[in-house]
Amino acid sequence: MITFIIRRLIATVFLLIVVSAITFAIFFLIPRLAGQNSYQLATEYVGRNPSRAAVLQVEAKLGLDHPLWVQYGNFIKGIVVGAHYNSGTSTTYCPPPCFGYSFKSQQPVWPQMVSDLPVTLSLAIGAAVIWLVAGVAIGVISALKRGTLFDRFSMGIALAGVSLPIFFTGLIALELFSYKWPLFPNVQYVSFLTNPFLWARNLVLPWVCLAFLYAALYARLTRAGMLETMNEDYIRTARAKGLPERTVIFKHGLRAALTPIVTIFGMDLGLLLGGAIITEYTFSLHGLGLFTILAIDNQDLPEILGVTMLAAFFIVIANLVVDVLYAVVDPRVRH
Amino acid sequence: MRRRRAIVLPALAAAAALALAACGGSSGGSGGGSSSSAAGYNAAVTKVVSPSTHKGGTIAFGNSSTPDSTDPGNTYYAYMWNFVRYYTMPLMTYKSCPGSCGLQVVPDLATGPGVVSDNGLTWTYHIQPDVKFEDGTTVTSQDVKYAVERTFDRGLFPLGPAYFTFLLKAQKPAYPGPYKDRSKNLMGLNAIQTPNPTTIVFHLAQPFADFNYVVAIPQTSPVPPSKDTGANYQLHPISVGPYKFQSYQLNKQLTLVPNPEWKASTDPNAKQLASKITMTMNMNANDIDNRLLAGDLNVDAAGTGVQAAARAKILSTPSLKASSDDPIAGFTWFAALNTTLKPLNNVHCRIAIEYAASKTGYVDAYGGPVAGGAIATSVLPPNVVGHKSFDLYGAASDPGGNVAAAKQQLKLCGQPNGFSTVITYRSDRPKEVAAAQSMQASLARVGIKTTLHGFPTGTYDGNFAGVPKYEAQHDIGISFYGWAPDWPDGWGYMYYIVDGKAISPAGNTNLSQLNDPKVNDLLNKMASTNNDATRNSYASQIDMQVMKDAAIMPGVWAKSLLYRSPNLTNVYVESYYGMYNYAVLGTK
Amino acid sequence: MADALLDVRDLRIHFPTDDGLVRAVDGVSFTLERGRTLGIVGESGSGKSVTSLGIMGLHQGTRAQISGHIKLDGEELVGAPAARVRELRGSKMAMIFQDPLSSLHPYYTVGAQIAEAYLVHNKVGKQVARKHAIDMLGRVGIPQPATRVDDYPHQFSGGMRQRAMIAMALSCDPELLIADEPTTALDVTVQAQILDLIWDLQREYQSAVIIITHDLGVVAELSDDILVMYAGRMAEYGSAEDIFGSPGHPYTWGLLGSMPRLDQARLDRLVPIKGTPPSLINVPSGCPFHPRCQYAAETIGRSQAEVPELRPVAPGHLVACHLTTDQRRAARPPAAQPPAARLGDG
Repeated sequence: MITFIIRRLIATVFLLIVVSAITFAIFFLIPRLAGQNSYQLATEYVGRNPSRAAVLQVEAKLGLDHPLWVQYGNFIKGIVVGAHYNSGTSTTYCPPPCFGYSFKSQQPVWPQMVSDLPVTLSLAIGAAVIWLVAGVAIGVISALKRGTLFDRFSMGIALAGVSLPIFFTGLIALELFSYKWPLFPNVQYVSFLTNPFLWARNLVLPWVCLAFLYAALYARLTRAGMLETMNEDYIRTARAKGLPERTVIFKHGLRAALTPIVTIFGMDLGLLLGGAIITEYTFSLHGLGLFTILAIDNQDLPEILGVTMLAAFFIVIANLVVDVLYAVVDPRVRH
Repeated sequence: MRRRRAIVLPALAAAAALALAACGGSSGGSGGGSSSSAAGYNAAVTKVVSPSTHKGGTIAFGNSSTPDSTDPGNTYYAYMWNFVRYYTMPLMTYKSCPGSCGLQVVPDLATGPGVVSDNGLTWTYHIQPDVKFEDGTTVTSQDVKYAVERTFDRGLFPLGPAYFTFLLKAQKPAYPGPYKDRSKNLMGLNAIQTPNPTTIVFHLAQPFADFNYVVAIPQTSPVPPSKDTGANYQLHPISVGPYKFQSYQLNKQLTLVPNPEWKASTDPNAKQLASKITMTMNMNANDIDNRLLAGDLNVDAAGTGVQAAARAKILSTPSLKASSDDPIAGFTWFAALNTTLKPLNNVHCRIAIEYAASKTGYVDAYGGPVAGGAIATSVLPPNVVGHKSFDLYGAASDPGGNVAAAKQQLKLCGQPNGFSTVITYRSDRPKEVAAAQSMQASLARVGIKTTLHGFPTGTYDGNFAGVPKYEAQHDIGISFYGWAPDWPDGWGYMYYIVDGKAISPAGNTNLSQLNDPKVNDLLNKMASTNNDATRNSYASQIDMQVMKDAAIMPGVWAKSLLYRSPNLTNVYVESYYGMYNYAVLGTK
Repeated sequence: MADALLDVRDLRIHFPTDDGLVRAVDGVSFTLERGRTLGIVGESGSGKSVTSLGIMGLHQGTRAQISGHIKLDGEELVGAPAARVRELRGSKMAMIFQDPLSSLHPYYTVGAQIAEAYLVHNKVGKQVARKHAIDMLGRVGIPQPATRVDDYPHQFSGGMRQRAMIAMALSCDPELLIADEPTTALDVTVQAQILDLIWDLQREYQSAVIIITHDLGVVAELSDDILVMYAGRMAEYGSAEDIFGSPGHPYTWGLLGSMPRLDQARLDRLVPIKGTPPSLINVPSGCPFHPRCQYAAETIGRSQAEVPELRPVAPGHLVACHLTTDQRRAARPPAAQPPAARLGDG
């Protein structure tokens, strides 16, 4: 198991390098294929009516006139050993991992991502707990009460949940519960350390909207899994042993049905940690998702690279955790 | 089977919400419109609404994106030039008063307008002797010179205007900016002299009559060299205005608190009333509108008007409409016609477009007369000094377009059955997309077949429409654009969009690539004539010539529907910015 | 004579479905004493598994309609509270199933599953249960039980798995063991071992055993009594000597004829029973076997019209058939069939 994890971690490093190279390529090469040169690229980072001299200075400052492999090399160097940045009056040292400086604000990228991370973490993990508990519970009940009113009703709602986009449910939630009846006024992220109560209260609407989407999915998955599992022979054996029905359902049935759920949960959470883009945008939460949109909007390469790699990192780690968990959960995989 | 406890599903609440969705828009004003007597629609355009000297309270700004920079030397956004008045004092500024009164440029840090000498090549300003920075030190002329010197480092400060770099007398080698300045106490820019702590002298390369406007740009607000932190200065600029930075989380939240060193007697165009000012950035635009209406926010920082959903709500609810204003925003939406591309290089083909395009279609694309603005009959918007009204092609009299006249023009340019060309526009601006589509439809009526090709705003100037070679290679004859002036006179508006010298290989703003010696000449004359009346008369002449050249198809003189938060005092529209004057606001 | 441990009387188990009422078990009666083995034989769909699941009360929660009597050691199970039946399951009556790989939970160790069975019926500590599991594994002949107790089902071979299942079923020392097709999923050589194991354990624990199978060879080895079921009903019931020595029901003749026997000449052809098992929703009228019975014509229409009653043809030997004794003897002379030998005896 340990060797397995170590091998995967090494593969992670390679994967991140590949991801960064691809992002680099997309950012630079595709416009170049359309005929853009570095001078034209630099004009995006200058104000209105730039003079030629200004554009050239920006080109030089951002290093856009260097060959691509040099720029990429500098980027990797920054991550590994850090970089120095001349802010005019002084030279600051940006310690590793240094994802460079924003093209737009000239401020270091990594601290910005780090400050946005708790928002995304709070949003993702809070919603994840809710959707997992709600989804699995509803799925189990629906499976056990298959065909009843509860089952049909909950699967109907689940269909809605899976089909309705977050910007729709989010806007409705805001309209009703934030503007019209101010139960949750001023949805704005407050750090847990500053005020845990406000932190939770302001996240309720985003949590619920995000969780609604996933809970629906997980309810359907759990229901299907449970229905399948409860038909298995070992369930019949469990009952034949005289186990209480509750034990049969949970220890024998749900335990088996949860295996695919665990896998998917790991993937979903990993993806979300890279930024729940739409949710954050709808609720104006300054997390990694919003950071991503803005970085792309501003064509801010260091920010784009930083957030892409961070998101990739989360996904890869989530994959790894899921694979390890799978071996823990299903003994057949271990041997 | 054991019963399970019923789970209250958030889904149920959401399902109920879905049922209520239909009622979302029509419910009348909530929370916000509860003030006893709203001053009335457009009240703040012509007068001060809720004048008051009451101190205290918080003014909360919401911003749907981020400032380009909070460093006064590095910003170009209109709303930022308004907002920075909280912590800056340029040499000159715009008078804080409603109506056209606000178009005047008046002394701010300076004691009077510049004294011109040396055939217009030298401008001398005296500054007030007792203005202090937030740390208690007195402002000297060297601090103003240093601020201007910073703008020469285009690598560190690429975002602000570059006027000083080409208006001031050049030196060899070119001045590299204060961070590479090897002279004693960083005063290496020879074109500016500071003979004593209250005098600053500018030496220009050419006479430039609009120089008072140029020094009204925030870039002349003093910066103490010892406290400058270069690219990090934006995190805490040293204030000389009524407020100073308390905290700034980049891209998230900015908080300003009163600056105890500020004296009202030195700065009559600003006020120090609220006890806190906050700007929250990167908020969802619709969210901002909803919070404005609910009273959780006081101002939408961008100042360009509410989004479509809130607009509908406001215009259909009398109590909300009475708390809103629809001022002229100060910019024109237009389509630049490529004067170098066949067959548009023939003026008659361009005039055909002027006749054929539907002006109502254009205005409707921008939201109609209230939300979009007025039909533009010429390029210069009405709030620019020297504007004169004229209508060469019947834009106001035949707002749907004049097909017969257009066809006539087509015959004159040798294309009686029309021709083909490409229309570009900024694809991430829905209104511009709609305007382009409307243009396509109206031109098709006279046989001008067009292909639509959109590009994102970020790369529009730099890579596509703003690259003359690209336009030539891709047959781009019509480019949608918009323009607001750097200062509200003819030169400030027209130079960058119609002067031949402004054409640039990338990042071009003269999308028509117009190089008409008559226009160039008039602009030169404007720059060198000191007599205000004469100079301003040129503005309309330039406008007329550009329209005769049909280099531009004007679309809309933009208006913005602004919501006037009932909690604010001293609210009025500052004409030059086309939005509320932020520097004088207070709360009830 | 000992009191019957299990007394099943007129057991009927019906399932209402969208297509109609499935009469899976339609009037089954038998008794079983401690220490004796009953083999229930029949094709798929004859109702044998449904009967055993019914005895175990495993139709609880389904739509099954159960009537009749099942008395376990004097206690009526039909209509008894579910909790009481659950108490008895595993402790007084236990069941092993056909496929031990799918019947054991893949995620728990074999030891844990055996201990679980023990713990649910005995208030002891985990360590005690674990020791007991190791004991049981040893008893069923699994080598190195102390190590193997922590292995997972997929780490056992097929035969070992079935032994483990048997260990699990016997862990609470049940008085009744039901084995539903215990050897069908196993190799022939392993089959014999398992059957021997069941035989030995029965001797040791003096439990009553019901073996359900379609394989007469299995039944011949172990059973004291045999019940032949067809279409949910009893076709024939008697001791193993009766059934193999003088079978009375044409269906039984068919089963025996279709079975390879060591004491038959190799070149004798196997004779399958023609036709297919009947639908349990639309059971043929009269004798359910009549569509497939060679001798149906001899009953002159009674087979189609009248349901044959279960009648003794000898003491303790019951047959449900309209054929008269003479017709029977004519169709199948008893002396021609030597007594069934126990297969596997060397």
